[in-house]
Amino acid sequence: MTLLQFEGVCSAYGSARVLHDVSLSVSKGERVAILGRNGVGKTTVVNTCLGLASMQSGRMAFLGRDVKAVRTFTAARSGLSVVPQGRRIVSNLTVRENLILGGAPQRKGRWSVDEVFRLFPILKERAETPGTAMSGGQQQMLAIGRALMSNPDLLILDEPSEGLAPVVVDELGETLVKLASGGMSILLIEQNFGLVHKVAERYYVLSKGSVVEEGKLAGLSMETLKKHVAV
Amino acid sequence: MLVQILNGLVYGGMLYVLSVGLVLIFGLRRVVNFAHGGLFMLGAYVGYAAYGIGGFWAAIVASIVVLGIFGIVLDRLVFRALQKQEPMVTVLVTFGLLMVLEDFVQSVWGKDLLTFTTPPSLSGTVAIGAVSFPVYRLVVIAAAVIVVGGLSAWLKLSRAGLYVRASSVDPVTTAMQGVDTEHLSALVVGVGAALAGLSGVIAAPLLALSPSMGSTILIESFIVVVTGGLGSFTGAFVAAMVIGQLHNLGVVFVPNIASMVPLILMVGVLIWRPAGLLGAKA
Repeated sequence: MTLLQFEGVCSAYGSARVLHDVSLSVSKGERVAILGRNGVGKTTVVNTCLGLASMQSGRMAFLGRDVKAVRTFTAARSGLSVVPQGRRIVSNLTVRENLILGGAPQRKGRWSVDEVFRLFPILKERAETPGTAMSGGQQQMLAIGRALMSNPDLLILDEPSEGLAPVVVDELGETLVKLASGGMSILLIEQNFGLVHKVAERYYVLSKGSVVEEGKLAGLSMETLKKHVAV
Repeated sequence: MLVQILNGLVYGGMLYVLSVGLVLIFGLRRVVNFAHGGLFMLGAYVGYAAYGIGGFWAAIVASIVVLGIFGIVLDRLVFRALQKQEPMVTVLVTFGLLMVLEDFVQSVWGKDLLTFTTPPSLSGTVAIGAVSFPVYRLVVIAAAVIVVGGLSAWLKLSRAGLYVRASSVDPVTTAMQGVDTEHLSALVVGVGAALAGLSGVIAAPLLALSPSMGSTILIESFIVVVTGGLGSFTGAFVAAMVIGQLHNLGVVFVPNIASMVPLILMVGVLIWRPAGLLGAKA
């Protein structure tokens, strides 16, 4: 079953068009990556799903249903959860409150505050501290935990390795693999080839707002992948 | 002296109930609402009309309900559109709205001062130590305490309160988690307007009703919000209590400059802490 589908999508911020004729898809249980340099429109793919960038033409479908008038709050309610670039932890809420906020759609499923604490025990230790008082890696755990709290069908992560130490990125990769092995569908937007190689099965390469390359990661070396992205 | 302190608490409590509505509306909509004084005044007049029909408690309920609904309509028709406008547009529109409300009340109830008598069940005095103090004024203090406690509990303990706190800091991230921030803002503006109505009706027996009564108290209400720190509920409470005391002690001890005392306090606080007593640094 296809969870997310873009067919010839063009998106813009006001009159500035960023995505041109983008087609991509993520099926249930898949781990897909979108790669590309800074400013090629990777985050705009996420923002289109959230209604933060306006879709000017093309077709976007989620769980097989066409999505036309996107509003930011409807994405999480319909099963699409985002770990945003820069994490965006709400500064005046504690760790526990940030997680409760993530559960706002009240969708039934495996994930609860206790379950997130089992996945990331450090969050339980820091439950009553402000979310932004933690290290970058811990904040990333919180952002992922918050996204899981809505029991999503598809988890989108926008540059989760940004600003993290290599050892923390390795741990993050292991966590994502663990989530994927539990059946979570993942769309990973990244520039870190190591993380993409570890987590994803398929990839798309964006350049100047268009998909210029796509394929499977199995059997593809890191060097070849880097060459594809350098197109 | 005890009477002056108690009167300071009465005035501070009334200011807080009014100002906290401003804080709520600014927190969610980022709109500095100059029409808030008009909502206070409208609350007093709605209460005046309802008092004649069903008595004091009916006046309280009518003011809260009518102003709450009016706030939601105002959010849908005016504040939502103002959110993306320049601050000067917001000032002009909300100030214009204040004048429209004043003209509306004047056309319905006239220009003359109206009196709203203290309800018989709450009239009389009570002995506090060596002095006697009007029961109704104690009721005003109690109303402020209930609003402080109720609002704090709502914001701290309920899910909706958590969403309000989150949205006041980062509305986009809050919406990304599945919270309909537009509905939430309408609810909060409704609560803010209802609190303005409540403050108007509880102040009515202490003040003479006139269409311009909102403009007068609006200035002190803004002083409370700015001194406490824009968007800070606790800051607004502290500032309202301090200004309430200074207002009353100023009238007794320095009557010639009493009206300037809150302004002097605000200037002093802003020089010391530009974000206000408990406001977040920009």
